[in-house]
Amino acid sequence: MIVTTQKSLDEILDFISPYKNIFIVGCDGCTQPPRGLKEAKILSQLLELAGQLRNKGFKFKTATVAKQCDLYLAASILKPQMESVEAVLCLACGIGVQELAQLFPEIPVFPAQNTHFMGAEEREEGILEKRCAGCGECLLAVTGGICPVVRCTKGLLSGACGGSKDGKCELSPEKDCGWVLIYERLKKQGKLELLKELNPPRDYQLSGWRVTT
Amino acid sequence: MSEQITVERAAVTLDEDYCSNCSTCTSLCPFEAVRRDPDTGQTFLDIEKCQVCGLCYSTCPAKAIDTLYYDVDSLTRYLEKAKQEYDSDILVIVCKGSAPDFAGVEKLFGVEKFIPLSVPCVGRVPEEIFLKALAMGINGMYVLACDTDYCRFERGSAVTSRKIKGLNLLLEQLGYGKESITLKRHSLKVKADTDLCISCGNCVFYCPYDAAKLESPGVVSFDLAACRGCGLCVAMCPAIALDLENWESERISALISRLSSEMQSPKILVFRCQWAVFPPLNGEEPPPNIRFIDIPCASRVDISHILEAFQQGIDGVLIAACSEEDCKQERVSGKTQHSVALLKDKLSQLGLQDRLHFCTAAPRYPEEFDKELKQFSQKIEAVGAKEVK
Repeated sequence: MIVTTQKSLDEILDFISPYKNIFIVGCDGCTQPPRGLKEAKILSQLLELAGQLRNKGFKFKTATVAKQCDLYLAASILKPQMESVEAVLCLACGIGVQELAQLFPEIPVFPAQNTHFMGAEEREEGILEKRCAGCGECLLAVTGGICPVVRCTKGLLSGACGGSKDGKCELSPEKDCGWVLIYERLKKQGKLELLKELNPPRDYQLSGWRVTT
Repeated sequence: MSEQITVERAAVTLDEDYCSNCSTCTSLCPFEAVRRDPDTGQTFLDIEKCQVCGLCYSTCPAKAIDTLYYDVDSLTRYLEKAKQEYDSDILVIVCKGSAPDFAGVEKLFGVEKFIPLSVPCVGRVPEEIFLKALAMGINGMYVLACDTDYCRFERGSAVTSRKIKGLNLLLEQLGYGKESITLKRHSLKVKADTDLCISCGNCVFYCPYDAAKLESPGVVSFDLAACRGCGLCVAMCPAIALDLENWESERISALISRLSSEMQSPKILVFRCQWAVFPPLNGEEPPPNIRFIDIPCASRVDISHILEAFQQGIDGVLIAACSEEDCKQERVSGKTQHSVALLKDKLSQLGLQDRLHFCTAAPRYPEEFDKELKQFSQKIEAVGAKEVK
């Protein structure tokens, strides 16, 4: 999923303060929890409350899109609802914000979220961690399904640096050493010989900015 | 701060002088709170384990157990008063755990006008109350208990059936006819609007009873036999696709706005888990600025209802839940505490953080909640009504 966190209410209020009729658009797509109808409603309630306290009457309406990054889907759901909308407040990741901004070039579209990374959630603790760097040349087949580009602080592609202590990273002692995790995983699979292979340096061009389907 | 040792008044007491060690209570207590000392053979009450279900009180043949809640005296007083107030000779006793609204009761029993008596577990009502009701001229008696498997006190619902069976036999012999007391069962269940479901799986994650199922591809389905009606999935659904029967969001919203309109400032709204705080039957009216919503479990508290309360002009919201250990569901009150903490964080950005408070309470020490409420209302009175900046 794409991991986002909500911006401060002050920042959001700064964006929307010149407007009255605001459309909060959720996205059921890849975030956890999905920032769908309920999040849109709760944000509208919080901002209304802020408006009450600051003597500013906002009028919100809310909707959600299964995934805002699908321009066609977003258009079919949102276009019929745009009448009298002065500004859009978007609960999706940065991609969703840009798609809506492209869809409605006359209307300001504001992000309600900060977008962090592609990650996963430790649900019991409610912690979200980065899992994929989108590097364009996936190494997971030879690293036991653990990405060294992300999980190793130094992004080393071929084995640990030697600074790991008690399974933790020497640079960020609160963080697990990615290569220790890879070692343990490969050991479980009886595939430690994979560690002897050197992975060639990354071709940074492959991360790219455009690919064809 | 000096440490104070206070002795809290316990809601259930056992008088050893009256106790004949007959074992009725020890065999019935669902929480192993009444036990026999293996050395002395004496029965004793471990109040820390007691959940105040009242089963021991209502079944003790020696009257050695006393309770502050819904004892024979207070139930009798209530019936005398309520008979006048509701001007009816039909009594409907419902368990709070399963209770639908009055319209629901009307539909279940086919009675229009009745004296309502809502108690946390019908199993706590002693037999003599039914006999007293008959003596007062009450003709029809209806009891609504939870389905046996969903009893929050485990054995309360089963004890209710045995009691009513016995009473009905007795009453028949006394010439009152067959089945003088009608017993029905009912339980709260989740309702899903699958058109709104986004297949996110949050309910599958949160449901403590594995009642929510999500197949891929597909939308959620619920195994209603497994659902215990706690409402956690409803509060956690990001698509507003779920609701709890009899505790629908709309119904709670309507309640919030009605209560807010009748309150004086500074307005304090309390969401109470009905297992954490037992309201006294013949209690005084609450102060004009405080109102309660007794919910079936703290996990039904929805963040958007708290915000709605603030939007409706409420100045302070207090949530009283059971501790995780006392939770009558699978330790779900902690999830609510977490959601409330996250909301408090957001409210702090608006300067409203002190107006929301989460506390735990247990009916075993009634003064505990009174103290929390007093402290909170003093705090809200000190900061006053919400002000426009």
